[in-house]
Amino acid sequence: MTDGPLIVQSDKTLLLEVDHDLAEQCRHAIAPFAELERSPEHVHTYRLTPLGLWNARAAGHDAEQVVDVLLRFSRYAVPHSLLVDVAETMDRYGRLRLEKHPVHGLVLATSDRAVLEEVVRSKRMAPLLGERVDPDTVVVHASERGHVKQVLLKLGWPAEDLAGYVDGEAHPIALRKEGWDLRAYQREAVDGFWHGGSGVVVLPCGAGKTIVGAAAMAEAQATTLILVTNTVAARQWRHELLARTSLTEDEIGEYSGARKEIRPVTIATYQVMTTRRKGVYRHLELLDARDWGLILYDEVHLLPAPIFRMTADLQARRRLGLTATLVREDGREGDVFSLIGPKRYDAPWKDIEAQGYIAPADCVEVRVTLSDSERLAYATAEPEERYRFCSTTASKTRVVERLVEHHRGEQVLVIGQYIDQLDDLGERLDAPVIKGETTVKTRERLFEAFRTGEISLLVVSKVANFSIDLPEATVAIQVSGTFGSRQEEAQRLGRVLRPKSDGRTARFYAVTARDTVDQDFAAHRQRFLAEQGYAYRIVDSDDIGDLGRSTPDSG
Amino acid sequence: MERHVRSWRTAGPAPRTVGRMSDGPVPEGAPRSLTEDLRTRDDAVLLALIRDRPDLRTPVPADLAALAARATSRPSTQRALDHLDQLTLQVVDVLVALPDHSSARDVRALLGGADPATALDRLRTLALVYGPDEDLTVTRSVRDIVGEPAGLGPPAEQALRGYGPARLSRLVADLGLSPSGDPIEDVRRVVQVVGDAASLRGLLADADAAVHQLLATLTWGPPTGRVDRADREVTVAGAATPVEWLLARGLLVARDASTVALPREVALVLRGGRVHRDVQAELPAHVSTPVDPSRTDHAAAGAAATAVRLVDDLLELWASDPPKALRAGGIGVRDRARTAAALEVSDDDLTLLVETAQAAGLLATGGDLDEVWLPTTTYDAWRDQDVAHRWQVLAGAWLSTVRVPGLAGGRDDRGRVLAPLGPDLARSLAPQVRGEVLRELADLPRDRATTAASVADRLRWRAPRLAGRLRQGMVGWVMREAEVLGLGAGGALAGHGRQLLAGSRDEAVTALHALLPEPLDHILLQADLTAVAPGPLTSELAHRLGVLADVESRGGATVYRFSDASVRRALDVGWSAAEVLAVLGEHSRTPVPQPLAYLVTDVSRRHGRVRAGVASAYLRCDDEATLTEILADKRVAGLRLRRLAPTVLAAQAPIDTVLQRLREMGHAPAAEGPDGDVVVRRPDARRASAPRRPSPAPAAAPLPDVVLHAAVRAIRAGDRARTAVKRSPDGASTVGPPSSPTVDVLALLSEAVVTGETLWIGYVDAHGQASQRLIEPVVVQGGFVEAFDHLRQAVRTFSVHRITGAAAVDETAS
Repeated sequence: MTDGPLIVQSDKTLLLEVDHDLAEQCRHAIAPFAELERSPEHVHTYRLTPLGLWNARAAGHDAEQVVDVLLRFSRYAVPHSLLVDVAETMDRYGRLRLEKHPVHGLVLATSDRAVLEEVVRSKRMAPLLGERVDPDTVVVHASERGHVKQVLLKLGWPAEDLAGYVDGEAHPIALRKEGWDLRAYQREAVDGFWHGGSGVVVLPCGAGKTIVGAAAMAEAQATTLILVTNTVAARQWRHELLARTSLTEDEIGEYSGARKEIRPVTIATYQVMTTRRKGVYRHLELLDARDWGLILYDEVHLLPAPIFRMTADLQARRRLGLTATLVREDGREGDVFSLIGPKRYDAPWKDIEAQGYIAPADCVEVRVTLSDSERLAYATAEPEERYRFCSTTASKTRVVERLVEHHRGEQVLVIGQYIDQLDDLGERLDAPVIKGETTVKTRERLFEAFRTGEISLLVVSKVANFSIDLPEATVAIQVSGTFGSRQEEAQRLGRVLRPKSDGRTARFYAVTARDTVDQDFAAHRQRFLAEQGYAYRIVDSDDIGDLGRSTPDSG
Repeated sequence: MERHVRSWRTAGPAPRTVGRMSDGPVPEGAPRSLTEDLRTRDDAVLLALIRDRPDLRTPVPADLAALAARATSRPSTQRALDHLDQLTLQVVDVLVALPDHSSARDVRALLGGADPATALDRLRTLALVYGPDEDLTVTRSVRDIVGEPAGLGPPAEQALRGYGPARLSRLVADLGLSPSGDPIEDVRRVVQVVGDAASLRGLLADADAAVHQLLATLTWGPPTGRVDRADREVTVAGAATPVEWLLARGLLVARDASTVALPREVALVLRGGRVHRDVQAELPAHVSTPVDPSRTDHAAAGAAATAVRLVDDLLELWASDPPKALRAGGIGVRDRARTAAALEVSDDDLTLLVETAQAAGLLATGGDLDEVWLPTTTYDAWRDQDVAHRWQVLAGAWLSTVRVPGLAGGRDDRGRVLAPLGPDLARSLAPQVRGEVLRELADLPRDRATTAASVADRLRWRAPRLAGRLRQGMVGWVMREAEVLGLGAGGALAGHGRQLLAGSRDEAVTALHALLPEPLDHILLQADLTAVAPGPLTSELAHRLGVLADVESRGGATVYRFSDASVRRALDVGWSAAEVLAVLGEHSRTPVPQPLAYLVTDVSRRHGRVRAGVASAYLRCDDEATLTEILADKRVAGLRLRRLAPTVLAAQAPIDTVLQRLREMGHAPAAEGPDGDVVVRRPDARRASAPRRPSPAPAAAPLPDVVLHAAVRAIRAGDRARTAVKRSPDGASTVGPPSSPTVDVLALLSEAVVTGETLWIGYVDAHGQASQRLIEPVVVQGGFVEAFDHLRQAVRTFSVHRITGAAAVDETAS
């Protein structure tokens, strides 16, 4: 047996020993079909999932290659049943194909009649299908293209979508490369997406997802609908597009609560799209307002369910999803796969960091010991109030004050969940607070002031979790969060990951109350980042003085 | 004579041919009966007969007539046919389709040109067919059992027997011949027309499509059809339907009022002069693909290690939380689902594991009130062995078990689901079929792998009559199970699997041992609170980690996750934080990550805020002074008292000792009941006593040729005696076993003890049952003779007065 770097486990996880000589080679070989699950310091964990294997099939890899890679790099014998399973799973992809038929329009065709028989007989499929054209072909209602793909994925026979896309209304868009160029990984991401047709690109916060979006638009040369999380993010997209592309003010519209502009490139918020009045989505017309050639989804991992439903009807248009993490707290990764598309590009955070495109970060969990009276109050609090209580205690506030003091002179963000706590902190620290009710105008003014260094401390609620570009923030202090949300933690860290002008290391603090549920949630929240290789240090609140400041990178 | 007896007693190769032919009457021409045929055979052939049809030799028949009678009995014939391969069975079909006294050439013609020689030899050896190639006779019982061979109807002669002379005459006339008036002659004339290819073609030339279609459906069987009024009178002129068209020409024959049949001669012509559509003369070759033998070995070794670990996990799990044994036997659905989920195995694999564990004697029912499934005491011994030995125990048990795990989950005749470990999974044929399947795999070269379908094809060819549902189903099961248990992988047997199959257990263990990776003594600790053991761990380290962390993923490596609960578990069993960190530090290749160290110290800091201790007894007294006095007394040192509160003392000594000591000291303590006792007891893992397993019946070991030879001699001797009697004018009394006066018997026995000769004796047992034995006397004393009984392969004691007669094996006829 080889002394390879890979250990294949019977539960379909692959363990890659990163210090091994062949580790890098092996990582490249398994990346197309295995999904990176965790990448802590010594052993990275990949998982073989049907979705991952089908992704690989979609990218043109076959089972033989996969099996060969596993055998070649494996240290121990690979369970034979696992190899058989891999081959069988991969063989399922593409047995069914969605195609354009010259006479019947959209059809589901197969090379394996038995499979078609099986799915045609399925109760969930029947209403989506039309007449049988011939034994190997059945008509699909054009409007059900997305549903069919969703159902087929659930049935375990994912369809290859070869029905193509409408070109949409042409609109010239070009990148204005003035003093910058696409980074190699951004280029790969765009190419991966474009050749695949539709799909998702996974890049860390701060790695320039907007640029990937803009490059995709330049590739499409067509009218584009961009769906983003909130208004501030919408403005930021607009700002970035104006700066990086040939698009002018008149060509970019904003479709939000405040404004309803429909232009060749329109940026809409999830919120406005999902607003219902009397049970009716009022802004669906936007989707049909123009003949969109490309639809961009920012922060795919947050895509709300109604958007999925709408997306099911948009299967004839090219779709690009952008996200920092495919982890969804609601487990709807399968819907992302079938409706937006397979993952087309993925890069581990640490790799991008190593290339210098995102700032290195130092994550510190500060444990605060509650006072005796606080502990007693905590112990007797109602269970549903406990988290709120322990994450907003006065002891914590004092520690936050000391941390802010410690980092005076640096650009510091304090991020929290509870408005009362944030208001209180704003008052004590004498810093402006940005929360849900803050007007967009005020928000933009404050962010701008922060960017220019006019103010060096901001207290923000979860509205700032996403898509807020604050390149100069070097320290983030998290005082409370949405329970154990892993993606929130990643997003918040992302706020400080933009590369710093002086190359300094960012610092991320999570302040937690010792021996409470706060600490348990924190452990859960940290898992994603720990799995991405961000090792948290834990320090006692009494030892803050010993912490270094975030220092400019000596190298 | 003595020299001769010696020569077949020696362990060396037995003489294949003994000059016998001249002794018996050699018949002129072909034998008239099987008995006669057997008489002409030499000993080697007879030996082959009783070797290959074992039911013919127990008990040894008295003579050749008895042998022939038994060989042609229906059950014995059926058994013999069951073991024939496909070609031989097709030859049987052809022989049955042909009249007796046909020749090998006829057989070959109807077989479509395939060479029947080997098959015919085999059939002769088995006494299913006799006579030379020019004049073959198949025994009556074979004809009866085969019935309509290969879907052929009755011969025309037999089919037409039901017609009256008048109807026959009309039929002959309708065929354009002149009736003779003699029914037999008429039938002959009809057969001449319809059984001849040329004239049949002539007849069919003006038949319409419907007639051809009807013939086509009947040609390859079944050869009969149902029609109303099949026996109606029809003529060529009056025929209206295809059936009538054929009836009128004798191409269909009415068998009774509602059935018509296609006569055999007609069918044979329509079949193009052959009996079978396809004759597969050769054993189908393995459908095989190339594999890398070392890959097979390693994959199988990995599976073997996994199987051993799973059985270990299973039994550990059941030791503390045993599943209830259902009243109908087996274990319930819920217990199964729970266990399968805990072990992360499929339902099928779980069934295999529990069945194998039971077969290996590691699992049995036990318990006091409710019957539960528990690991046995054997398990404790098994657990201490290394992986390869443990595997050998499991795989060996699986090879010989009569239980068929694959049946579980199916339903029995009454629709009840068959439960794992239930009573309905046993099939006595299972070990034999399992062996057959695995031997097919062993038959492949090391670098080829095959499929279940191919193995099933080969087994079906080897014995089509046995290819029932169980046998065909088991092929897939056995191959899958062999892979789960690590005898092979991917349709090929591994080296250790081959050795185990060949019975070389030690070699199998050595081979497997060489394939398994060496246990490691280090782990990799990571900041996300996991530890990775990049290979199998030494048992000590594995045990320690098992306490400290939860297993998250298994396989070649093991991934452990540390959590509050797991660290607390370690602290609970008495580790200190420093010990935990020391162990981790010692076995980790890298420094202990800070979050992990923090976790351990954090948990240990909280650990013990609430204290629970173990005390054997306590002292309670409202008067604090009394307790202080007791504590101050030097005599209580052995009790190891400790003050928990002003009014409570805890003692480490048992309550009896405490009470006794206090009384000695002049106090008058009263014992309190068990309520409020804080003794914490960890319940012992329970065990069932190991059942006395009947060692699996050894697969009928082939009898050594020496014994078979003896049996042949005995039969031959009996036959000579019988034929001699027939010729002797006076005696009828000497049929059967030898009969001689006791004095002579004793003399013969004593002589045989000295010479080591084998005797043929007649013996009446305690139940008055007469039998014949072949014995080799060892000692004669007190009216008993101890002797080696050749046919039973054991030393038995016979009482001399029950011996009706004795004769040296070679001299019985004289």
